[in-house]
Amino acid sequence: MTESGAVLLELSNIVKQFPGVLALDQVSFDVRAGEVHALLGENGAGKSTLIKIISGVYQPDHGHIRLAGDKVKFDTPAVAQSRGIATIYQELLLYPELSVAENIFMGHAPKTRFGTIDWRCMRTLAREHLASLDINDLDVDQQVGSLSVGNRQRVEIAKALSQDARVLIMDEPTAALTGADVERLFRIVRLLRERGVGVIYISHRLEEIFELADRVTVLRDGACVGTSEVVDTTEDDLINRMVGRTIEDLYPKQAASIGEPVLEVQALSRPPLTRDVSLTLRRGEILGLAGLVGSGRSELAQTLFGITPAHNGCIKVNGVECRIDSPSAAIALGIAYVPEDRSTQGLIKPMSIRENVSMVVLKDISNGNLINHSAERDLAEKNVHQFSIRTSGIEQKVEKLSGGNQQKVVLGKWMASDPDVLIMDEPTRGIDVGAKAEIHRTMSELACSGMAVLMISSELPEIMGMSDTIAVMREGQLVATFARGEATQEQIAGAMMGGSRSEADELSDTDNTKGAAA
Amino acid sequence: MSRVAPGVANSPSMLSSLRRLVLSHEGVLLIILIVSLLLLATQTDRFLTTDNLLNQCRLMAEVGLVALPMTYIIITGGIDLSVGSILGLCAIVLGVAWKNYGLPLEFAIVLCLFTGAAAGAVNGYFITRIGVPPLIMTLATLALYRGFAEGVSQSRSVRGYPEWFYRFGQGELFGIPTQLWFLIAGLLITAFVLSRTVFGRALYAIGHNETGARFAGLAVDRYKMLIYTLSGFMAGLAAFVFVSRVSTTRSDMGTGLELDVIAAVVLGGTSIFGGTGTIIGTALGVVLIQLLKNGLALTGVKGDATIMVIGVVLICSILITNFARSRQATGKAANSDE
Repeated sequence: MTESGAVLLELSNIVKQFPGVLALDQVSFDVRAGEVHALLGENGAGKSTLIKIISGVYQPDHGHIRLAGDKVKFDTPAVAQSRGIATIYQELLLYPELSVAENIFMGHAPKTRFGTIDWRCMRTLAREHLASLDINDLDVDQQVGSLSVGNRQRVEIAKALSQDARVLIMDEPTAALTGADVERLFRIVRLLRERGVGVIYISHRLEEIFELADRVTVLRDGACVGTSEVVDTTEDDLINRMVGRTIEDLYPKQAASIGEPVLEVQALSRPPLTRDVSLTLRRGEILGLAGLVGSGRSELAQTLFGITPAHNGCIKVNGVECRIDSPSAAIALGIAYVPEDRSTQGLIKPMSIRENVSMVVLKDISNGNLINHSAERDLAEKNVHQFSIRTSGIEQKVEKLSGGNQQKVVLGKWMASDPDVLIMDEPTRGIDVGAKAEIHRTMSELACSGMAVLMISSELPEIMGMSDTIAVMREGQLVATFARGEATQEQIAGAMMGGSRSEADELSDTDNTKGAAA
Repeated sequence: MSRVAPGVANSPSMLSSLRRLVLSHEGVLLIILIVSLLLLATQTDRFLTTDNLLNQCRLMAEVGLVALPMTYIIITGGIDLSVGSILGLCAIVLGVAWKNYGLPLEFAIVLCLFTGAAAGAVNGYFITRIGVPPLIMTLATLALYRGFAEGVSQSRSVRGYPEWFYRFGQGELFGIPTQLWFLIAGLLITAFVLSRTVFGRALYAIGHNETGARFAGLAVDRYKMLIYTLSGFMAGLAAFVFVSRVSTTRSDMGTGLELDVIAAVVLGGTSIFGGTGTIIGTALGVVLIQLLKNGLALTGVKGDATIMVIGVVLICSILITNFARSRQATGKAANSDE
């Protein structure tokens, strides 16, 4: 192993030009053996381009890459891999139908002397690799598709290390993880650091950087804004460097006057993940729904929106009992749903902003079945302006927008239907700090204008910062409700985890650090 | 291309819209069509005559009629392999209802259309309610409906229709083959619906991302039900025209029709993955295939060689469009820089 502290990988003055955009401008970056180096920046700042250059997907136009002092050129990802650069992308690239062991050794399985796969050896080695990462609870014969996201990620890490990775790039590894899984991931990353691996860690969650990283480099608009030791910096300082301005408050919650109930739900059930749920949502109120992934929050939202209609229970909208058995029924009742997964549920990405924004209300702004194109354009222009969507025009394809702007298109599309109830499922997942604050401000303004907002979030600071009322779900049931300012992070986390004390402790540990950072 | 860019930017939008037309798949097809017309015309003087061309229109009407709803279906990311069998079944229903059951021929025609719509609706029902993939469902009904047709017909053909019945497949209206009027009307209506209505927009949305369309409150299942039913109905209409054109009803009518139809739709630029496609493209695809078949036959090329030429044209048209699109994409990105 390389001596700890020595520079493993060094990039100097990297320039990468795409048609129309200077993606990286004279960026220098290095990783030492045995350190976690965080890479920070808003969406579009050049992080992905930089890691694609390190992993050999792109070649730089200018500048050099040195690996352990030697000048290298990574023409393809395979070359980079053979030199010990492993990348774990946000979308895990595993084969769900194959076993853990097969996935770890995909492409370099141990062979017998007849040239066939040596299964016994492969399974033993797989077990050793997992054990070396302190993972003893995974069965190497299990199908990867049946594992949780957290476990799949650990398989991916083991796979990277089976190829003797010296530099490990992790692109937002915690985006889809919950508290306990995040903590397990952190333990593995620390273990790798002790072993002398250089880890490049990308995350939007600042608190993780303070917990995990040794150094941090901030990119803005393709340029390097600076590298510093994490201990010498503060969260405000980092945000400042990322967006180039100070963000007074990430959670600009204004006090809204809370009015009469808009949505009343009694004993709503759709097994297995919505069981006997009762809640009331009032005009002007933001109700934050907390819970672990898999606790039934999104399922509840989708039941309220008619995608998976309820089997039992009663829903009242504006005091009138009604049945919601399709999204169009929900829309007609004034319910809007900004879903969890922007790419598949929220948007039709290959279509334009205009076509996406008008989708929900197209019939209303048309003459019968005939599309009124000028009304549609007006609506789109109005939305782009109102939500300050940064785009070249309303004909821009949504897939070309950054995550934050995409989310604004989703929001705009639903605001066009002028809803009374707005359900937002993970409204700020995977979007940068600047856009996050804008979405929060919009949410708060909508509540002030009398809309009732049901917000689902896995980020406790967001729940605590934005909600008037906090409800907690566990295993398909509502288990606790708190008023704003009444609950601590520990109480909410405890309710999320339920009886098992040790797990709750573990989670609130993580959240304490999150809280301290926030 | 970069050298002429400033000039293009300053000139009126006509040039840029012309450039867009040439670069579009329809533009590429139109150029291929014109080139093959001219090439074939130089090879034989029997090709480029009014009589021959009108006669070709007669022959392509059945494929054309079925290709219109097939465009809708493929735009949503689906497929309908059963259209040939539906055509066969409808033809048999028409003949047997009239000859064996003594129903008035007018009523038999209505029954034929209704059978088509019902057969399509069965496809639609299983695809939307039970969730059977369109490829599997219509592959199954491809066999099933052909089996029905053979069972009902008892392998006997029906002939001897009254004179007025042949007007639809062999007659003319204002000097133009009757069935071409059907095709033109169908083309105009389907093209208008696809490009101008909420329904048309929904088809594209479903093709790009069905989940997203559902989450936006679009009645995805209803739309899909509708287009498979329409596909069956148009196969029924094609059966009627077909029987009228060839003066006889047999249970093997329309065998392999689905492949001609899908080839024409895909040649017309409709993506088999869904989300893109136009009726104009499909129309050009249908015309191009028919003219190639006819022109090559007239110049003395044998049947199997003709199929090969059509295959090559299909591949070339897609290659040219892909090339043009990637040029366009780089051009656009460069422009957005300014």
